[in-house]
Amino acid sequence: MTNSIEELRGAEVIMVIGSNTTEAHPQVARRLVAAVDNGKNLIVIDPRRTAISEFADIHLQIRPGTDIPLLNAMMRIILDENLIDDVFIEMRTENFSSLRDSLYTMDLNELIAITGVTAEAIGQAARMYARAQKGVICYCLGITQHICGTGNVESIANLAMITGNVEQSFTGVNPLRGQNNVQGACDMGALPGVFPGYQPVQDLETRKKFERAWKKSLPENLGMTLMQMTHSGRDGQIRAMFIMGENPVLSDPHASLVKETLEGLDFLAVSDIFLTETAELADVVFPAASFAEKDGTVTNSERRVQLMRRAILPIGKCRTDSDIIMELSKRMGYRMDYEDMAEVMEEIALLTPIYGGIYHDRLEKDWGLQWPCTDRNHPGTPYLHKYSFTRGKGRFVPAEHHPPDESPDSEYPFLLMTGRVYHHYHTGTMTRTSEMLEREAPRAVLEIHPDDAGSLNIRKGDMVKISSKRGSIEIEAEPTTRVMKKSLYTSFNFRETPVNILTNPAMDPVAECPEYKICAVKVEKVGHNE
Amino acid sequence: MNEKFILRKDHLTGFLRKLSKGHRLVAPVRNRYGDLMFQVIDSLETTDLDLSEQAQESPKAFFLPQEEVLFSYEASGGIYDFRPINNSEQTVYFGLRSCDISAILYMDVIFLRSPRDDHYMKKRKDSILISIGCNTPGENCFCNATRTGPFLEYGFDLQFTDLGDRFFVESGRARGDEIFSEWPQFFHPVTEEDVRLQYQLALEAKAGFRRQIHVEPAFSKLRDDAVDTAVWREMASRCDGCGGCAYICPTCTCFTIFDRMESTETGKRIRAWDSCTHAGFTRMAGGHNPVDMKIDALRRRFMHKLYYDYSAFRRPSCVGCGRCVDMCFGGVDIVKFIDIVCAGTRKRTRDSRRILGDLLLEAGLISRTDLEKALSRQADTGEALGKILMDLGLVTCAEILGVLSLENM
Amino acid sequence: MINRDLITRNINSRNTSNTYLPHPAVITEVITENSQIKTFVLEFTDKTLNTNFSYESGQFVMLSVPHHGEAPISISSTPTRPGNIHLSVRIAGRLTTALHKMEPGMTLGIRGPYGRPFPVHIMEGRDLLFVAGGIGLAPLRSVINYCLDRTGRYGTMTILYGSRLPSDIAFRQDLDIWSTLPGITCLTTVDTPEPGWTGHVGVVTTLWDHIQISPSDCTALVCGPPMMIKFVLRDLAGMSFSPDFVITTMERHMKCGVGLCGHCYMGGKLVCTDGPVFSMAELKDMDIEELR
Ligand SMILES: Cc1cc2nc3c(=O)[nH]c(=O)nc-3n(C[C@H](O)[C@H](O)[C@H](O)COP(=O)(O)OP(=O)(O)OC[C@H]3O[C@@H](n4cnc5c(N)ncnc54)[C@H](O)[C@@H]3O)c2cc1C
Ligand code: SF4
Ligand code: SF4
Ligand code: FES
Repeated sequence: MTNSIEELRGAEVIMVIGSNTTEAHPQVARRLVAAVDNGKNLIVIDPRRTAISEFADIHLQIRPGTDIPLLNAMMRIILDENLIDDVFIEMRTENFSSLRDSLYTMDLNELIAITGVTAEAIGQAARMYARAQKGVICYCLGITQHICGTGNVESIANLAMITGNVEQSFTGVNPLRGQNNVQGACDMGALPGVFPGYQPVQDLETRKKFERAWKKSLPENLGMTLMQMTHSGRDGQIRAMFIMGENPVLSDPHASLVKETLEGLDFLAVSDIFLTETAELADVVFPAASFAEKDGTVTNSERRVQLMRRAILPIGKCRTDSDIIMELSKRMGYRMDYEDMAEVMEEIALLTPIYGGIYHDRLEKDWGLQWPCTDRNHPGTPYLHKYSFTRGKGRFVPAEHHPPDESPDSEYPFLLMTGRVYHHYHTGTMTRTSEMLEREAPRAVLEIHPDDAGSLNIRKGDMVKISSKRGSIEIEAEPTTRVMKKSLYTSFNFRETPVNILTNPAMDPVAECPEYKICAVKVEKVGHNE
Repeated sequence: MNEKFILRKDHLTGFLRKLSKGHRLVAPVRNRYGDLMFQVIDSLETTDLDLSEQAQESPKAFFLPQEEVLFSYEASGGIYDFRPINNSEQTVYFGLRSCDISAILYMDVIFLRSPRDDHYMKKRKDSILISIGCNTPGENCFCNATRTGPFLEYGFDLQFTDLGDRFFVESGRARGDEIFSEWPQFFHPVTEEDVRLQYQLALEAKAGFRRQIHVEPAFSKLRDDAVDTAVWREMASRCDGCGGCAYICPTCTCFTIFDRMESTETGKRIRAWDSCTHAGFTRMAGGHNPVDMKIDALRRRFMHKLYYDYSAFRRPSCVGCGRCVDMCFGGVDIVKFIDIVCAGTRKRTRDSRRILGDLLLEAGLISRTDLEKALSRQADTGEALGKILMDLGLVTCAEILGVLSLENM
Repeated sequence: MINRDLITRNINSRNTSNTYLPHPAVITEVITENSQIKTFVLEFTDKTLNTNFSYESGQFVMLSVPHHGEAPISISSTPTRPGNIHLSVRIAGRLTTALHKMEPGMTLGIRGPYGRPFPVHIMEGRDLLFVAGGIGLAPLRSVINYCLDRTGRYGTMTILYGSRLPSDIAFRQDLDIWSTLPGITCLTTVDTPEPGWTGHVGVVTTLWDHIQISPSDCTALVCGPPMMIKFVLRDLAGMSFSPDFVITTMERHMKCGVGLCGHCYMGGKLVCTDGPVFSMAELKDMDIEELR
């Protein structure tokens, strides 16, 4: 996220794209609502009618997977009406001509037709955003979980740059992270090609630095992505796995293949706070301590590193993740001796420039520090790209429409989108053990447009079977106009309706993020749920 | 009852130490993150009490815990046995605010009617309530409008007033008198000056509110069913059903009950906080929900707080503590609601609180320059505007009360 | 003019040391009423309670099933036949499903009785009309048998019972007995017939033409699904029944049963203590979601 959450308050126009903010990021949503209350404008781009879209001045209910044509259409209008920020483009960006040329080759009417939204609405949104002195864009997995996720993100960046809506306070482009610490995990190098702080493993100097610190030689080749590891099938090249705090059997697309892959391993160890569906497949399970039972830090969407304090001692025989790692490492012949988490943080600061000034004692006060924070006196960085982009000038990368990997056809006529419900987190491993949350949201429902439901003779509460090429599940139907005709929506939080049996593992070639958001399915009625 | 004494501030710790001999002591303490919370004080040596402002959370959880075991059970074969549990402990609550006391009085009405709740009753019987009046009401407070503060006449065992270097202490119940007679060494007779000063402070506090909330006009509108459906719809569209408003509210006492299995043969029956804005609160087996969550749930919440309870008990079940302000993700708090209802518009909520300064300006009691002077001092000191204006000799307490009561009409 | 305060608020609170502590009670018999409904006959483990547990028709108990918490269930037996109590339960969710698996000899937990009973005193000397749908016959079974056991105090009795399907008809034993008793009209109807069904077809309100009642002398008691209640009340009002003499029961999610938890809140009242029995006159003054 280039901005701080607080800064949303100062924006004039906020564009939310592919984010069901109210349910997934309530703390961000509250700022959006406050901004609207203070007279700011809100544009929501989402194929579904979501709670936040009700607050929008303009809601563009586009067809799923048509973000690029929409953004291109908006940019084309901005270009045609000369609403671009010339000075910004000149001073701060490069490769504008290629974007311009590519936009000019496109037919505006065609783009608009692909999105399914009216030209008028798109024009309004384009003008509203372009004319704003301070415009912010927030996007979420509705953008990235597509086969063209990278193109989607680049198009958003293009839009922000041609209008100069970056680099100042109350402007910018903000991916909203799904978990309290995804950002932190990425920061710490839980990605195939980087050490902590996004330092490439292929860089010799960097590697040497880490080798000096860890007294081990380190591989220079890139690791594998999650999808390569979990979808290689029964005889994949990986033979043993240690999975910590993940439940891929339920959370990854094409779940049956994941299960097959894990079952085919020679050895699987899982550490988790509950016995998840994945842990049930393991040879060894480490009972892990929960967040309340350990010290440490988390880094949130706005790059804010916060200290978490142990509230209670670990219950029973469970141990903290760090304990498990250190003990394992010791048994495997490499001594890891960190007295406490503060010492780990010291090593991070030593080896990771963006975390260079972050120490536990500095995090005690207030609400932590936002990286980059390069030394002990550095106050942290509320928004990024203040003076220049990380890579110098911002580079325009034109993108073209890339239809979803799987389009509806006569056999599978519906587009299925997936998301989460307010009350549950991911596969429900934790939240579904809470009596209250479970009461609030005991099951998933399939949202289907009333017209589609009518033509299939489906009423509220009926059980339906939805099938894709990969499998099928049974689920309760809920006719609603929240979704458009021929679109379906459901949540992936429930083990009884493991929707990832259906989803498509086709991936964005760059980010390798699977196309969770769209797959083609058919719907059949099977009975009525009393 | 209604005895009055002076306790020197130097002697407070000594007094509390005596009190906490047979009792657990609960008082406001500021934690590492700067939050002021009621906590069990294990040691008066190592813990600093903080009486500077209203605690972030009310003491509700000590009387109605977020989760409480009602009893444990054993079930195997033909046996199904229930074992009562005592969750109560003798406790002195020190540093409650008037709204906290009023909220406990409200809970008494709910839980001690017939049939009464034995768990609650035990905790209440075991409690000593010592409050401190608010010389300077907090930013969001409006207990003046709900008549639940800033000082009380009854309800407390002891009520403290901060007179600078000493506390003015009055008893409101026999238990307070017992404390006076049990430890007379701490208490000195009050002088006429003390009484006058206490009266003065209580008056000034009434003038120190920064928000004017029209609780009674809102009540009339609700009674006459004069609230536009659009208002309910607007409120409902902003509610995510998180329950935060109810959890933070000192008078929201709704709860749920469920079993938590501990082994195949044993378990506990638990009661836990619940909220009328949760969909599962009213949903019945089979999925039918007689309450349309989009509108009825919010209507029910506000009708209950401002109308039904008012007609049943002559007091709203809102004690004006202001805690739910800024709690809601969608900006649905009771203050906004009352503002909207009274404004009679269905415009999106803007902050429409009437500032005392504007009222005095309108009434011609101060000039704009006076007001600006006072406001700039307020920016420095954070004191209440009414107090500053009085200190500057620009208005009298009576004048402030005058415009406020006009405003409350 | 009957004062509706005659239906007084029930303050039948037991003085136990723990408001929420149930009494163990053993299942002595299970009667299968239909595929969805079973009647459980219960005797308290504490023998003194079997005679001391005093209740009135229309009241309910909070029933505990091990590990499943509690649910409100109307007492379907009559206080005129003491010694045990009957609970007739339809499968609805988790607790009721678990209950249906239980057998004689197993133990349940009961606390109560709770709620305001049927106003039997204002029914005396009047004709009685009972209209029930589905499981709604459970509380009415109690009051019907109560009235039968106190012969001579009431006028004519008419019982109308609607089910979805012939195979859904519950309480057949009782219906059979009632149909044979003199002075009682007992009619059954089904929404959808099945082969072999020769009785009435149609919702319960289609039975008006088959009975004779004089609204001014009659008290009506109505229990069933919300939709049925809504239409029956509307028709009775149309027949100029006095709203004070049309009595029904309301159902809400319940947790405590004693007026504390707030779940059963309905139009400013609490169903568990102010109800579940209400007169139509009272309901008019409240704003009830499903009767709108
Ligand atoms: C006064 C009253 C009398 C009743 N009498 C009978 C009766 O004689 N026979 C019968 O079969 N049913 C009766 N019901 C309905 C019965 O209480 C519900 O069907 C039952 O609670 C469903 O519980 P469950 O655990 O199976 O469902 P779940 O879905 O597991 O419900 C969980 C809990 O929610 C609450 N709850 C859910 N639905 C209801 C509901 N409809 N009413 C009240 N609480 C609910 C209960 O606390 C229940 O334990 C009565 C309801 C009320 C209010
Ligand atoms: S705090 Fe707001 S969103 Fe949460 S339940 Fe209350 S009204 Fe609804
Ligand atoms: S409704 Fe809000 S202001 Fe009123 S008592 Fe509850 S938390 Fe305090
Ligand atoms: S069931 Fe708890 S208040 Fe009625």
